[in-house]
Amino acid sequence: MTFVESLLILFFISTIFFHLAKKNIGVAYAYSFQSLLIVILLFNSFLETKSISLFFVAFLVFVIKVIITPIFIVKLIKKHQLKFLVSTYTSMPVTLVVVTILAIIANSSFLVPLTSIIPSNQQSLSLALSSLFISLFLIINRKGALSQIIGVLSLENSIVAFAFFAGLEQTLALQIGIIFDIFVWMIIATFFISMIYKHFGTLNVSEMQHLKD
Amino acid sequence: MEIFIILISFFGAAIIFLFIKNRKLIEFLSVLVSAVVLFESINIVTKVVQNKVYSPNSLFLIDSLGAIVVLIISFTGIAATVYSIAYLREESSRQIIGFTRVKQYFILLNLFLAAMFLAVSSNNPVITWISVEATTLSTAFLISFYNKPSAMEAAWKYLIINSIGLLLGFFGTLLYLTSLRASGQMGFITWNNLLLNASHLNPIIAKISFIFVLIGYGTKVGLAPMHTWKPDAYSKAPAPIGALFSGALLSVAFLVIMKFKVITDSVVGPLFSQKLFIIFGVLSISVASFVLYSAKSYKRLLAYSSIEHAGIMMLGFGFGGLGIVAATLNIIYHSLVKSTLFFLSGNILLKYRSDKIVNIKGMINVLPITAILFLLNFLIITGIPPFGIFINEILILSEGIKLYPFLTVFVVLLLALLFVGFLKYVTAMVYGKKSPEIIVGEKNIWLLIPPLFLVAITLYLTFHLPQFLKTLLMAVELYY
Repeated sequence: MTFVESLLILFFISTIFFHLAKKNIGVAYAYSFQSLLIVILLFNSFLETKSISLFFVAFLVFVIKVIITPIFIVKLIKKHQLKFLVSTYTSMPVTLVVVTILAIIANSSFLVPLTSIIPSNQQSLSLALSSLFISLFLIINRKGALSQIIGVLSLENSIVAFAFFAGLEQTLALQIGIIFDIFVWMIIATFFISMIYKHFGTLNVSEMQHLKD
Repeated sequence: MEIFIILISFFGAAIIFLFIKNRKLIEFLSVLVSAVVLFESINIVTKVVQNKVYSPNSLFLIDSLGAIVVLIISFTGIAATVYSIAYLREESSRQIIGFTRVKQYFILLNLFLAAMFLAVSSNNPVITWISVEATTLSTAFLISFYNKPSAMEAAWKYLIINSIGLLLGFFGTLLYLTSLRASGQMGFITWNNLLLNASHLNPIIAKISFIFVLIGYGTKVGLAPMHTWKPDAYSKAPAPIGALFSGALLSVAFLVIMKFKVITDSVVGPLFSQKLFIIFGVLSISVASFVLYSAKSYKRLLAYSSIEHAGIMMLGFGFGGLGIVAATLNIIYHSLVKSTLFFLSGNILLKYRSDKIVNIKGMINVLPITAILFLLNFLIITGIPPFGIFINEILILSEGIKLYPFLTVFVVLLLALLFVGFLKYVTAMVYGKKSPEIIVGEKNIWLLIPPLFLVAITLYLTFHLPQFLKTLLMAVELYY
């Protein structure tokens, strides 16, 4: 197993951890860790390619995703005392079954063309694809707005991980896309989370029931 | 040079943000910007008609369908800007919003318009993606404009659903880039690069990529089953923003899907994308037909109608042949008519202070011009002859009956169901006895001029298609 492959396994474990975590603060720290793994992947690629833009993206991801975003989330949790608000639509056993099924689907023969973009990285691409599906499930399954944001950010990290193992990490397109998405989610997190709390007195999105015909 | 003038909307937003503290000046600048943009859009369309594409440099490219969408954005854009002034003044007179909110509104409106122009004109698929994502950000703040719990809820759902959709769209876009690895072109990627290198793309990856892109941008179009944000967002956003959502943004997202369709078709042939278009098209029309009957808000009713029309456009491109021309024409008519309906819904809201259908009675006496226009546009949007949408639907269905007769008959039944449902609500609103406390009379002439402007264009296009539009439609049919 290579160094980057072991990083990806840790990445996958952190995605699973999002589903297991009972406290919001744990999710925030796990996200910081997951983003750090992405930074290491990008930095490792920079060392190999000496691409300045890649270094710039890695630096930006480090500052925003590893440091600023988790600090912001932790402050928000402390401010609103949101320690035990990580509730889900499905029970833990069902969640784990769904996570397992998603991992199996990502490794299925149906998706082999996708995971064999670079044949030598097939296992890694399957793992990244599993993380992508599992992150999507996190957004759907969690009632908390914070967890949903973490789910979206984790989905984005999974796309970056996939792109890395698909040999697309040097694409300017990927780098611009990441930077812009970070910018967007910083604004969203800063404004909307506080506004939701202000209006609903909670970040539990299942309380949002005003809009039904 | 014209393309930079279009991007003037960005600068308009920046100038309002940084320097202007006078409401009339903000309104004047916004109208001026949208007028300049409209003028230059016409200039660009003229160049596309002459040269097939407009590409002042490698960063920008507008083709025939892009030119049509540019025109749609600029026409609905100027109408929405003018309408917004009168609409927000009414809101201010009731002390619902103050100067700060008005300033924020026009900044976001200009940013929204600029992002749409950039999405259409960019020659780079990722810049296009970023622009579409930027529309999400600016419009999320516009949906939550009234700062009420229901508006915040609508904005949150919109953000989450669209962000997931767009991230999947981004993933699909990245998968298309795998075709460029062989040639090592990883710098500035153009749509043409992707098309030229499409032969290097694994056909199965091309199919998977297109599915992701279709889900991603289809979320923005509001195709079922990714449509769930649409009724909430449309009903909570200010009326002129609803008009732009339905009139302009839908067309922008549709254009992006079509660009990826061309690349996918060059790898796997047109059958794959056409089948997907038909599936999503029928699903969207079906969902709209049935959910419409549970609508309690007239703005949500308009949202369901948009879902239906997105489905009709998908069917047109799915069936191919004349269906492509008809679907493109449907994009134009739908933008004009639905924007008009949203403006009129704003008039109704200002008068009745309610968006519930049950509270709207006797519009024909209370708001006679609005009521007549609402009725007329209802007839157009539901495909009643002799209006343009009727002809488009006939053309699409005539292509469909050749290929999928049973499915086409099913769609006809769904359209009939939609008409009956819509008719039930509209007649209940237009006729009936008004509540005694409602004062009779239109609010402001400037709340009528923008819808009248769009109705005039719709009627003109119904009875006469100008030569430049025919040229663009022929080019769309050939390319897409």
